[in-house]
Formats: sequence, C-alpha cells, structure tokens
Amino acid sequence: MLEIIDLTVRVAGKEILKGVNLKVNAGEVHAIMGPNGSGKSTLAQVLAGREDYEVTRGSVSFEGRDLLALPAEERARAGLFLGFQYPVEIPGVNNVYLLKAALNAKRKAAGEPEVDAYEFLALIKQKMKFMQMSEAFLTRGVNEGFSGGEKKRNEVLQMLVLEPKLAILDETDSGLDIDALKVVSMGVNSLRDPQRAVVLVTHYQRLLDYVIPDQVHVLTGGRIAKSGDKSLAQELERRGYDWVLESRVA
Amino acid sequence: MSAVRQTTSASPAVRSFEAQWRARPADAWWPAREQAMQRFLKLGLPSPRDETWRYTDLRALAAQSFVDAPRKARAEVRPSPALALLDGSPRAATLLLVNGHPLLNADDAKINGIEISSIRDIARLDPSLLLRFLPPASDADQRRWVLLNTALFLDGLYLKITTQLATPLLILHVSAGDGANDAAHPRVIIDACVGSSATIIEQYVAQGEHTPLNNSNTHIALARDARLEHYRVFATGPGATHFDSLDIHQDRGSQCKQFTIALGGGLVRATLEGNLRERGASLDSYSLLVGHENRHVDCVNIVTHGAPDTRSRQTARAIASDFSRVIFNSKVIVNAGAVNSDSRQSCRGLLLSATAEIDTRPQLEIHADEVKCAHGATTGRLDPDMLFYMLSRGLDRATAQSLLVYAFLADVLTGMSVTAARSAIENALISQLPDSQLLRKFR
Repeated sequence: MLEIIDLTVRVAGKEILKGVNLKVNAGEVHAIMGPNGSGKSTLAQVLAGREDYEVTRGSVSFEGRDLLALPAEERARAGLFLGFQYPVEIPGVNNVYLLKAALNAKRKAAGEPEVDAYEFLALIKQKMKFMQMSEAFLTRGVNEGFSGGEKKRNEVLQMLVLEPKLAILDETDSGLDIDALKVVSMGVNSLRDPQRAVVLVTHYQRLLDYVIPDQVHVLTGGRIAKSGDKSLAQELERRGYDWVLESRVA
Repeated sequence: MSAVRQTTSASPAVRSFEAQWRARPADAWWPAREQAMQRFLKLGLPSPRDETWRYTDLRALAAQSFVDAPRKARAEVRPSPALALLDGSPRAATLLLVNGHPLLNADDAKINGIEISSIRDIARLDPSLLLRFLPPASDADQRRWVLLNTALFLDGLYLKITTQLATPLLILHVSAGDGANDAAHPRVIIDACVGSSATIIEQYVAQGEHTPLNNSNTHIALARDARLEHYRVFATGPGATHFDSLDIHQDRGSQCKQFTIALGGGLVRATLEGNLRERGASLDSYSLLVGHENRHVDCVNIVTHGAPDTRSRQTARAIASDFSRVIFNSKVIVNAGAVNSDSRQSCRGLLLSATAEIDTRPQLEIHADEVKCAHGATTGRLDPDMLFYMLSRGLDRATAQSLLVYAFLADVLTGMSVTAARSAIENALISQLPDSQLLRKFR
C-alpha cells in the first residue's frame, strides 16, 4: 500500500530525514518509534503533503501512485489520513462543517453523491458516542478550546468518519490519560481491516499495549535504524533508545 | 456677510465649498456655521501631513469643483438594490434621505415610538434645540469634514428616543447626483433620552451613474442609562467618495454598541469619536472593513475616557484583496481624573493578495493613574497551519481559504443583534470576497 524508498527531506535548510525506507502492506499496523527530534513528525507531515518540507531525494508510492506528486488535498481524497500531533484550533470554522466538507470532498473524488444532511448527523452522532465525546462538540469551532485529550479524540473521530485506507497517527497517544488512551485505541482498532493500514508514530510503548502492531521501526537520526515485531517495542521500553544507537555502531 | 479670509492658494474644491457657503441664506445657526467655515477655510483640506490622514491623499479631489447635490422628489428615487437589513415585519420602518434631504411622510412624525423631524423643521420650530448638538469648531484634523458639514448642511434628520424600543429603525441614505461634481452634507442627530433604548441602522447606498461626494455627520447623544445599538453600513459603488463622521457623546451609565461596516465606495473615510463624558458610560465599537478591487477604506476611531469607571472596546477586522488598501487608526485617550477607565483595542488584518495593503495603528494617551488599557494589532496572511489542516482533510484550497476568511469575520458578525442585518451584511461581505460561491454554502 505504502512504499517509501530512500526518502530524504530538508526542513528550513536542515536535513531531517536521511534516506528512510519503509513498506506498509494493506491490513498491517506499523509503529514508528524514536527519540525526540529523530524525524518522526517530519515523516508524518511530509507524507500528508506539508509544502514547506523539501523532498531532496527518494520516492513514496501509495497504492501504486506517486504520492509526492499529489497536493495534500488529493492525498486525503485518495485515502490518506494524518492525525496531527498538535491539532490546530480554527475558531469560527464549525467542527461539523469541516467534517462534512471533508467527507463530501472524498465522496466527490470517488464519484459518489454528497452525503445527506440527516444521514451525516446520524453518522457523526454514532461515532461521537463511540469516541465518548459530548455532543457539545458539534457546535464548536474546530478544536476551539478543546483540551489536549479532546483534540486527540477529535482527530480519531475524523478518522472514523473519513475511513481512510492509510491512517498515520502522529503521537495521538501523547497527553492522554489512561481512559482516553483506551478510547483512542478502541477507535484505531475499529478501523483495522484487511483493506486498510495504520502507521502509529509514537514515543512510548504504552499505546502498543492496546493497539498491537505487526511491525515496529525505530527512527533515529533521520533513518530507520531497526525494525522488528512488537517485542522490539518492549525491549525499547526496557533498554531505551540509546541501545539501538549502540547496537548499530556495534 | 462677514469677511472670511480668502486664501489665494485655496484649491478648486475649497473655493467651490466657499461659494456654496456664500450662497446659503442665514439661518438660526449662522454663528456656528460661520465659525466652522472660517476654520475650514483657514485649515484647508487635510493632507497626508495631517496625522490621521497619513494614508489618504485627497489631491485628486482637491482639483475638483463641487456644487450642491440636488433635492429629489420621492418619485425620482427608485428603491435601489439596498441590503435588506430589516426583516419583512410590518413594524420594520425605513426613513429615506436623498442627498441629505429627508423624504418624510406625514405619518413619519412618530415611528415605533421614535419622534422624527427634519432639521429644517427644527430650524423653524425650535432652533435652540439644535444648538445643543452642533459641535464646537475644532482644528483637529480628523474633524475637518465635520467643519464643512456644519457650515453647509441643508437638512437632515432629528430623532428623539424617549422609551425602550424593540423594533430597529433603518435610515437609508441615498446618493443620487445629476453630475459628477455634486456634493451632499447629510446630518443626522440621534437624541436618546434618559433610560431609553433603541437600534438604529444607517445605510448609505447610491442610485444612478453619478454618486455625489458624500460628507455625512451623525451625532449621537446618549443621556443617563440610555442604550443604543447603531450601525453604519457603507454600500455605495466603486466610484463613490464618502467622508463620514460619527460623534457619540455618552452620559452616566449609558451603553452604546456601534458597528461600522465598509463594504463599498471607492474611497471611504469613516471617523468615530466617542466621548465617555460621565461615570459608567460604556462603548463597544466593531469595525468590519473590506477592501477589494482598488478601493480605499480609511477608518479612524478616537475614544476619550472623560470620567471615572468608563469602559470602551474597539474590535476591528480588516480584509484587503486585489489592489485595495485598508487603514485602521484607533486611539484611546484617558483624561486626568478618569480613574478605573477600562479600554481594549484589538485590530486584526488579513491580506489576501500581495498587492493589497493594510495599515493599523493603535494608540494610547493616558493622563490618569489606575487605568486598564490594552491594545493589539496584527496583520498577516491566512494561517498556513490552519490551511494545511483543512487541506489534509481533503478540502480544496479555495474552499479552505474561503472558510478561513469567513471565520476571520465571525468575531464582529456574531456581535450583531439584528438578525436580518447580520445576515444581509454577511451576504454582502461574502459577495466581495474571492470564492464567494463557496462561502455561501457555509451559511
């Protein structure tokens, strides 16, 4: 589904990703772990189409298409979703309006008719209930005045409504208490499906207790330094990221 | 007629205003008018050297000669495509002023509890009344056109509010010239008596191909505990030049909510001077300034806290696209003794093209201790993080941008309590923004 080859990216003149290689097949859940500043968020943002990040080398294909040639909105419509680490507040733009516009953009791209207003409301209420969100969110501005945890739930809510083929969740677990973490994990697990894939970018192992990954990768210094199964995450938790660096040198 | 110093260097515009003035018959207010004209002739038209005129150059206007815009009969005035600022309820009332001359019906003397007279009638029946509302001549540069209005106004409206009124009143100012050099000097006086409350909307529109130079003045006096929601909406065409001055004087405990909406006009200069002259007076001013094409919108707000425990809020949102220029100058003055004054100035500008310009300048002048005065001004382009967030959800760029523009305006729009006015203004705003078709869908 997703194949990243030798991806090299500069941000503000500084090389952050230095040749990343990654292959994610449909039906798989991958976790990308790594210390702060290793390039995890840059990778997530560049896949979603952030413009001020300069790709200097490498390629990314998504379902056989050249992902890097598509603008951000077309990537989204093709089925890619980024759950932001720091979802931005957009006062004055209604939360539900954005969601409806997003869903309709996707449907339009797929040649489907726009969603019926009543059906949409029913759908969103059902998903909000699942995510244990108050209906008060319906009338508020996008992420406006939301707590950190509420913003993350809202990201997962959007993901559930848009049903992407590939979801990239950038530290969606950070800043969550244990109850919220369970709700968010439940949301992610509900999307697991042989047709879809999920990439979890995370700093900590605890999310992986709830969303069991098929593969775990350690990103450090702009490269994937180590890959393995879920036991790699547990080992990292025990031994720290320095261990990966040392074992690479050795 | 007393001698007025004829300045040989006077511009054609100033000379033509003087000629109009000389042709005026003396009336009950002649001393005040004469004083105003003398000041005007001495000072001349403002220039970019004057502090509040830094960004607005009147040289082209100065080279023109002006004549009085004609009085029109009701039959000549066709309802122009004015914004529907009132709902269709039978109690909704509109007063018509054409080139500053009111067209009143016999039953307009009292509408929805507002006593209404033409200023000409006041001159006949009670000239001393108006003297209370004629501003003293001032050399301040922001009051230059007020001097001219005082000297030259031919007629206008006097509204007296004595009770608490639920239905808004609309004053529709129609500019309808016979030639390119017409000038009108409309004057409106709103006299809000003790404990009264009302909503008054003034809308400026144009009819026909010639739009007179419009030099309007509205004087609002709020007596003790009076409440007023006032709108001025500029919706003339790209050829229109409009100088509007709004003076608000507030007594003890009075509250005024004021909306200034600049949607049209080639050159619009809108001045607001708020005078919180007694304890507990409170003024909320909202400005929505939209520049597009090559229009020029220059807004000046000066609020003086003249008594203790007074409060003011100034909220301005400026948007400039194409080659337009939008200016917002605001100033808060706290006089000595006005302790516990509380003021806030917030101006946000949004640039939608590289060729547009927004200038904002919030200022404070404080002569008292124990005051709370905050001010802030920011101007920028659409927030790239917000834009990327929406793009990453699949929205196309034009929709995402339009949504952000719309959101930018929401702060001011949501403050409006007249639903019909809000929705009409929203509609009109949207139609002047890029991607208006898309924006309509958000409402």
